[in-house]
Amino acid sequence: MEQTASVSFYTVAEINVLIKSLVENNPHLNNIWVKGEIYNLTYHSSGHIYFTLKDDTSTVSAVFFRYANKNLKFKLEDGMKILAYGGITLFEKRGSYQFNVIQIRPEGIGELQKRIEQLRKRLSEEGIFDKSRKIGLPFLPKRIGIVTSPTGAAVRDIIKVALRRYPNIEIIIAPAKVQGEDAPKSIATAIKELNKPEWMIDLIIAGRGGGSFEDLMPFNEEIVVRAFADSKIPIISAVGHQIDHPLCDDAADISAPTPSAAAEIAVPVKSDIVDEIEYFKIRMSNYITRIFSQNKISLQNVVSKRVFKNPFEILNMRQMTLSDVENRMTYSMKNSVSVMKEKFLKIRDIHQLQKKIFIQKRHDFELSVQKINSSSPLNIMSKGYSVVFDGNKSVINSIKKVKPGDKVNIKFIDGTSGAVIDSVIKEK
Amino acid sequence: MEKNKKTLQKTTFESALNDLEYIADKLESGELGLDDSISEFEKGIKLANYCRLKLEEAERKIEILQKGENGEVKSKRVAVKSDTGEIEDDEELQGSLI
Repeated sequence: MEQTASVSFYTVAEINVLIKSLVENNPHLNNIWVKGEIYNLTYHSSGHIYFTLKDDTSTVSAVFFRYANKNLKFKLEDGMKILAYGGITLFEKRGSYQFNVIQIRPEGIGELQKRIEQLRKRLSEEGIFDKSRKIGLPFLPKRIGIVTSPTGAAVRDIIKVALRRYPNIEIIIAPAKVQGEDAPKSIATAIKELNKPEWMIDLIIAGRGGGSFEDLMPFNEEIVVRAFADSKIPIISAVGHQIDHPLCDDAADISAPTPSAAAEIAVPVKSDIVDEIEYFKIRMSNYITRIFSQNKISLQNVVSKRVFKNPFEILNMRQMTLSDVENRMTYSMKNSVSVMKEKFLKIRDIHQLQKKIFIQKRHDFELSVQKINSSSPLNIMSKGYSVVFDGNKSVINSIKKVKPGDKVNIKFIDGTSGAVIDSVIKEK
Repeated sequence: MEKNKKTLQKTTFESALNDLEYIADKLESGELGLDDSISEFEKGIKLANYCRLKLEEAERKIEILQKGENGEVKSKRVAVKSDTGEIEDDEELQGSLI
């Protein structure tokens, strides 16, 4: 008793829950492909399919629920070799596990998948899937092109969604076979056709509804993948798929999981855009109305000022100021004229004074002239004196400068006469 | 290059719509005087009218390409049920252009 109490233990349910979480959260046991042969196949009335998957040495229980098997395009048979996609789940009640199948392909498909992977690698190296090659979708396509079967569900879905979102959109369908041997060439031709400028396409949606792996094979063919990549017009890949996306998804500018989704990506909801435009208009109008009424109030405030109510008031004021200035100017003018006049009269007195001084000065001047005249040699000569010059016109002022027989000139006040020295008598 | 050019040309509608939003924002910011506000408002209304016009440019029509006897591809107008998207046509339509 004591021993058991000290040992911790799990209940059966607990251990199954633990294993379930370990198994179902293990990435190695989920989203995996399992190869095997069908055995003990049961199509149950509920729509679920039960079978055992076996190989040479082992078996595992498998369940293919109705929601998953409704897209299965072929009938399963005992002994059929298949590839099953899904994950391991645990049935807690019984402690048993089973393979929960989501998709089944015939085993031969393994070869196809290998081929696709090789093509993907080759085209990828060539740069076909490069992001730099992708172009943006137009915001508002006016005319969209569709490449798909004109009788399939895809074309109906795209048209329905496009018209619902944008009732006046233009749609041009380039019909293409989406399964069978001709499909790849047919799809590629249709994409190329829509690229011709004469169709004036803004955007292309190319694809088909969901189907089995083989059904989608045309969209893995090189000619189709290249047509997607080479499209000069933005192209949306719209191939319905659940697990593996086709190669054309990587070559397209945008890929959508279904044709309807492609139409939703491609076509805007017109009423939303109209609402948006109206919203901007309302915002602008509200603002303009507001700023107008604000300015109107400001204007009224200005207009109601006194000056605008009684403009003569300000005129009277100015009139008064003007008269005042006039008066002051006149007074000031008169005043300065009388001052000038007084000054002018004073100037006449000065003139008299100047005249008197002038006369006095002239008198003084005459006196000086008389004085100077009285001491002039000419004045002395007029009294009977004369001057004797020798032959060199030098004044002879001593007997020492002459001897008898010298010729001299005698200057009188009114002329000159020549003479000869007769004798020299020295006086004491 | 050619691809890029094509998409750029097609974005006039989008840029008009963006400009419209920008003008509405600018007006509401109250940065503009009365004269500028009025001229921006006029510009905005013009853009709004342009966008509305652009939206009506397309004329709801569904066409399907068919190959003529001489190999020439022609478009043929078809009627569709708008609720189901189903093409209504009496004649047998070609399922491929090859």
